[in-house]
This record gives sequence, C-alpha cells and structure tokens, in this order.
Amino acid sequence: MLQINDLKVAYGPIDVVHGISLTVNAGECVALIGANGAGKSSTLKAICGLVPVKGGSITFEGRDITNLSGHAVVQAGITMCPEGRQVFPQMSTVKNLRMGAYMRRDAEQEADLERMMDMFPILRDRAHQAAGTLSGGEQEMLAIARALMARPKLCIFDEPSLGLAPKIVAEVAATIARIKAMGKTILLVEQNSLMALRLADRAYLFEAGEIVLSGTGEELQSHPEVVKAYLGH
Amino acid sequence: MIEILQQIVNGVAIGGVYVLIALGLTTVFGILGIAHFAHGSVSMFGGYLTFFLVTSWGFPLLLAILVALIVGFVLGMLIELLAYRPVRNANHINAFIVALGLTMMVEGLNLQFFGHEQVVIPTNLSRVFDIGGVTIPELRLYVIIAAALLIIAMTLFVEKTKTGQAIRAVAENRDAAILMGVNVKTIPLVVFAISTALGVCAGVMVGSLFAIAPGIGEWLVVKGFAVLILGGLGSIPGAIVGGLVLGVTEALAAGFISSAYKDVIAFVVMIAVLLLRPQGLMGKA
Amino acid sequence: MTKRLTFTTLTAMMALTGGMVMAEEKTLDIGVTDALTGGAAVYGLPQSNAVQMAVEEINAAGGVKVGEDTYMLNVIAYDDKANPTEATNAVRKLIDRDGVKFILGFCCSGATGAVASFIANEDAVMLVGNAAERSITTKEIANLTRTRPPADYTGAAAGTFVAQKGHKKVAVLGALDVGFYASYVDAFEAELKKAGGEIVTRESFGLKDRDMSPQLTKIRELQPDAILVVGYVEPAAFIYRQAVELGIDVPRYGFTSGSEEQFLRVATSEQMEGVWDLRPTELTLLSASENGVAYHANYTEKFGIAPSPSSPYAYDQTYALKHALEAAGTVEDTAAVAAALREMPIPAEVVMQYLPVDGKMFDANGQAYTSNGAFQWQGGNWVFVQDLPSDAAAYSAFLSTID
Repeated sequence: MLQINDLKVAYGPIDVVHGISLTVNAGECVALIGANGAGKSSTLKAICGLVPVKGGSITFEGRDITNLSGHAVVQAGITMCPEGRQVFPQMSTVKNLRMGAYMRRDAEQEADLERMMDMFPILRDRAHQAAGTLSGGEQEMLAIARALMARPKLCIFDEPSLGLAPKIVAEVAATIARIKAMGKTILLVEQNSLMALRLADRAYLFEAGEIVLSGTGEELQSHPEVVKAYLGH
Repeated sequence: MIEILQQIVNGVAIGGVYVLIALGLTTVFGILGIAHFAHGSVSMFGGYLTFFLVTSWGFPLLLAILVALIVGFVLGMLIELLAYRPVRNANHINAFIVALGLTMMVEGLNLQFFGHEQVVIPTNLSRVFDIGGVTIPELRLYVIIAAALLIIAMTLFVEKTKTGQAIRAVAENRDAAILMGVNVKTIPLVVFAISTALGVCAGVMVGSLFAIAPGIGEWLVVKGFAVLILGGLGSIPGAIVGGLVLGVTEALAAGFISSAYKDVIAFVVMIAVLLLRPQGLMGKA
Repeated sequence: MTKRLTFTTLTAMMALTGGMVMAEEKTLDIGVTDALTGGAAVYGLPQSNAVQMAVEEINAAGGVKVGEDTYMLNVIAYDDKANPTEATNAVRKLIDRDGVKFILGFCCSGATGAVASFIANEDAVMLVGNAAERSITTKEIANLTRTRPPADYTGAAAGTFVAQKGHKKVAVLGALDVGFYASYVDAFEAELKKAGGEIVTRESFGLKDRDMSPQLTKIRELQPDAILVVGYVEPAAFIYRQAVELGIDVPRYGFTSGSEEQFLRVATSEQMEGVWDLRPTELTLLSASENGVAYHANYTEKFGIAPSPSSPYAYDQTYALKHALEAAGTVEDTAAVAAALREMPIPAEVVMQYLPVDGKMFDANGQAYTSNGAFQWQGGNWVFVQDLPSDAAAYSAFLSTID
C-alpha cells in the first residue's frame, strides 16, 4: 500500500534521514522503533507533507505522493495521529472530532461521530468540554478518534504513548489493537518498543537516520540487539 | 435612567463598528499572527468607493455597497497574496514592516483617488424613532441591525461551516489542521477576503453615520486593536464583547464624566481590565 | 531649426519694442501659506484661491504701481496643513529661498501663532486672514496685520444677542481645547452673565470627533434654554444633525462660519432649519455689498464652487497689500509697507464690511474689525437677520491693554 524508496529528509543543512526504504501492505500494522532522534518522526512528517523530501520517493496505492502538500496527502487517504496529541485546545471534543472529518463530503459523518463516542465513551462524557481541559489520556483518545473520523486507508500513529501513565499506555495499546482488528492499515512509531513490537505485524529498527533491522514483530522482540538496546532486559 | 439608556444606545452603534473592524483584525491575527495595520485604511477605501459609486455613478446605495463588498473580497485576497504571503515564513518583523508600508500605500491611494475632503455617504435616512424617551435615528438603527446581522453571520460561519472551523483550527494548531486536510494556503485567502469585506461594511457605516476623511482609518484601526487587547487577542467572542464594551464605555464616559477625556477614560478602563485579566475579557489564560 | 530661429527673433523684437513704449514692468512674488489639505482646508483652500483671484484681477487691471515701476504679482503658495511646524517651514522657505517679503493666507490660529512668534525679526510683512486667536494681534508686532477680528470680539457680541433673546440657561458644546473658541465662549459668558444668564455646561469635542451624541444626551438632560456650538464646520454640522436626532428642540446658536454646501454634506436642510450662526458678517449674499456679490460670482465661475464665507479675508488682504505697496512707494522697505498698512483707509475693492477705527482699516495693533452678524438657516440658506451689537473702537482700546 505504502512504498518508501531511498527517502532522504533534511532540516536545512542537517540530514536526519539518510535514504531509507520501507513498505506497508494493506491490512498490516507496521512499527518503526528506535531511539529518540533516529529519524522515525521525520519519516512520518515527510509522508504527511509536513517537511519537504530531499530525495527518494513515497508511493501510496501506486500513486507518487512525494512532496505532496499536507492536505493532499490527507485527501489521498493517509491520516496521522500526531505526537503530543495536538488537539485543538479551545474547541470542544465534538468539534475536534468533526475537524477530523474535514475532508469528507459524505452523509455519514454524524453517524461516525456517534460510533467514535461509542468506541470511546469518555469522549461522550466530555463532548462539549474544550479539548484543552481534557486529561492527557483523554486527549490521546480524542486524537485517535479524530484521526479515525477521516476514514483513512492508512492510519499513522506518532508516539501515542508518549508522556502517559502506564495504565493509560495499556489502554492506548488496546485501542490500537482494536483499530487493527477493524482491518485498518497502521503505521506506528513508538519509543515504547515492547508495546510497538507486540502490536506490530512487522517492524523496522531506526538508528541515526537509517534502518538497521527489519522483520516481524516477534522476530525483533527476540533479536538480541533489540532486546539489549531497546527492551531493556 | 433614560439618560443611561440613551447613552448606551449612543454607544452601541459605534461599538458595532468597532466589532466589525476587530473581527477582521482578530481573525487575521489568529491565523497569521499579523497585526494588520492597513485594515482601517482598507475599510475607508471601501467607504470612499461606496460614496464614489453613489455620488458620481448614480448607483443605488445598496448596489454600491454590494459592489464595494465584492471589491473588498478581492482586495483582501490580493493583500494576502501580494503583501503578506511573500513574508509568511520570514521573521515576524518583516510582516510588521509590510503592514506599515501597506497602511501608507492605501492611505496614499485613498488620497489620490478620493481627495482630502471629508465625505459623507448620502443615505437620505433622516427619520428618528422615539421609544419611551430614548431616541434612535433611523440610520443608526439600521447600522446597529446590520452590524448585529453581520456579527451573527460571522459567528455562524466560523462555528457551523467546515471552512469556518478550519479557520479556527489553523488559529489553534496549524500543523494539526494540516493533518486534518486543511489547505493552509487557501485559508488565509478566505480570512483576508472576509475580514476586508467586514471592514468595508464598517467603512460604509462610518461613512454614512459620520464621515470618511484622511486619518479616520488610523483612528479606526487604533480602536480595533484596543478592542483586540480588551477582548483577548485572536478571540472572536472577545472582539464582539470588547467592541461593544469600548463603544458604550466611551459614550458613558463622555456623558457622565468628561467629554474632553472620553478617549482617555476608555483607555483607562481598558488598562484596568487588563490588570485584572491580562488575557483580555474573553481570552484564554 | 528655422522655427526656433523665427521664434527667438520674434521674442527679441517684442522685448525691444516693449521696452521702448512703456515703463519697466516687473514681477513681484508674494507668498501664501495656508491649509490646502487636511481638516482645516475648508478654510485654507478658499483663502488661497481668493488670493490667486485677487492677484489676477490686480494684474489684469494693470498691476501694482510702485513709484515709476509697475509690478505684476505672482503667487507662491505652500500647504501648511494648519500645522505650526509646517507653517514655520513654509514661511522660512518663502523668505529664505523664494525671496518673498509679503506673506498672506493664514487661516488657522495654531499655525499662524507659530509664525507670528518670529515674524517681527524678519524682513517681511505678514497678513493674517481667518485665524481668530486673539493673541495674534496683542503682541504689537509692527509687520503683522489681520483682517479677521478676534474670536472674543465676536463672542461678546453674540453673548449680548443671545441674552437679548431672553435665554438664561445656555449649554455649550465646542472645540474648547482650541484657544480662540474658548475665548469666544468666555466673552459670550461675560455678556450673558450681565443679563443674569449662565452657561450650564461646557462640553467639548476633538477635531476628529464626529459622534457628539454622548455630549448632546448629557445636555438634553440639563434642559437648557439654548445651546451654543463653537467649532469647525464639520463637527458642528454633525452636532446640529445629532441634536435633532436626539429630539433637542431648543434654539441652536453657533460660531462656525460654514457655507451652505459644507453643512448640507452632513445634515439635511430640515435638520439645519432655524440654526443661528453668530459670527463676523463675512460673505453672505443677502447682506453683501456690490463687491461681495461680484466676488461670489467671479469665485464661483473661476473655481466651480461657491466661496466659503471667510475666504474674502484673504481677498481683502491682497488689496490691502496692493494699496500699501503703492502708498509706501517701495517693494523693498518692508517697514514702510507695514506702516502704510496701518495708516490706510479701507480700500474700495474689499468685500468684507469693515468698521474703521479712527478712519483706518487697521488699528494700532494691526487689527481690522468687521461688523458681526446674526445669520439664521432658513429654507436651505444662511439668511442675514441683523447686525450683532458690536463696538469696534471699544474693543480696539481693550485689545491694546492686553499683553
């Protein structure tokens, strides 16, 4: 579904991604793991059109989406649930969710809104509260639900567990598992490697802007280097 | 009691004009972080244009206003495209300088096209309504109604339409808005078009209620920014509440304290509000 | 080439023959500084036009005859926007760069006061027009004269008139931060008090204010017998309109000197009906002399717009200067010309109706006095109703006592 070939990303003169290639197939959950600053988030931002691509190509459903502007990427069917949740703080929960469906013109948006609030009952309780007043975990749920409101073909999660209490992290993991079970294609970036590898069908390990290892979730979970460097046992 | 009510009525009309100016300034500030100083002069351009269409070309007033509104729409987009977009990603001081330069340019154009004389848009509305001792001139009443309708329309647009919500979203979190599929290149165009059209409406109101003359644009934009600070930067409800508060405060100050110091008193009230609520009346802390 | 040669030859011939048949004809530059743009241009621009018109008339009638020579006048006009700094710069430019010795115009008190403060040290003569601030002619500046009487001269006459109308409680709304308007009101109040009346409130407004309904609402609550409006035409027009809109139906008196056109841009004729303007008689067709009627017609034809009532102050300056130059017999000795101005009877060509003091147009302070008039808006026009009780000789004596 998503094909990345020799992708290079730079911020000004500083190269952060040095030509990586990866694939996400339809229905898969793919995780990108690695240390902070390894280039995972930059890769995502390049896919979503938030940072310019310096070299290489990105193909989605056979279509070249390299350097497409952000809104066109969303139009193509890719939605990102960004790092740090990035809800619209002064807008209500419901309005945040509706913003998720910004690109849609169909008649089922309100039905989807109901479905999201069924899926995340806490959001129904907070429906008319300003999103900025929600707790971190609630905001994460909102951000995930908001991403789903776009009915994306590919759903990207950028560090969904960052800064959350362990109990909430488990909840987020369960949520992603549910989305996966719904048949969505998922690209997941996580520093919490254990959680990511448990969720993922396949995974790529980033180090200093390059992919150093790839395999199924189980393979990487038991790979000695991963265990030593990232799983910490 | 009648005196107080009369003073409030006096203040509401000018307050409505302040609101329309402030709505434009606050939405522009919200999404682009720009202090669009030229807004007052552009608004006056709209008023001048309406005057010109009515007196020189014999347009009926409403048609003239409609034409001025359309010109305002286009002008707003051109300002965004030609003046502010090129400095979008540059240091903030650049946009600041552009705004100042644009103000001088538009003032100059107004002077070139329309001369230095005060002009009053002729409306032929001179009836006066008397409601229990409180008098409202017909024209003032229409201005108040028109301002109220425009404010409601603007609020509905922002709250109930996708484009309106996108404007808010960009103001609150630009990157997240992009991820929702908002085209952040077209939103500023929309915002400038609408803001300028609202400004044109304010210009027509000032021009028919009072007069348009060189310098009035500056006066209006100063009041507009005072409203912004009073109401909360970037806040739409803040612009509405702030504009009305400023208009009514000025009228009450002139009527009950001192007409010589009414502007001073209005600014003192503004400072007092900011001491208690530094974020403005409706601003978020 | 041929063409140019012919032309040059022709010019040379003309110069030659011309020099032989008539006395030498020269050009004398005179300066004008006035508000040609901005808020005060309603007074300044018509004054500048009036000087231009007078100069063209004088030139057409053979110019100014000074001794053996005949001078054609040429006007150099600068826009001072009624701003003191700009006016100072304009006068400096006229004197230092353009070599001008006679400067006219001066519609507005702030700018005029600034120039008056240093003109005594200059080799120049300053002829002030419409500026009404009293202090301009209290400093005994030998090379300055003014055609317009000070505001308080008129204010006193207006106060007497309003008191005679039987009004006891008068509410004032004026541009009171402007000195000469405040002095008009002070003189007005003094006369009103003599008749047992009082000013119940003094409300003010700024030059750029156009919404005076808060002040008028306050005045309405005080239930005065009459209101008095002193200030520039444009804000005053809004006051008259908004007073009607607020249902204030007491007599409205004013001191504004605006033309019908200027008021009708803001208010309807119905809204203006019955308003009084208590001011120097100035130019009003109904009270005008033959000169005034001709002036109005010529000005209207030349500039496509009716002259403002105060514009003849500048027209009259120009003729006063002409006669002073001819009487002094010099265009170089400014002291002699200034002295001649003060010794001069009222010239035949002037438009305003001056009241001579000791048979002269200007008194020892360089001040001229016109009659004051009560004008009322009736059916779309300012109608001259009567002279205001004015005493030029007494005021002149009073003026000499002030520093």
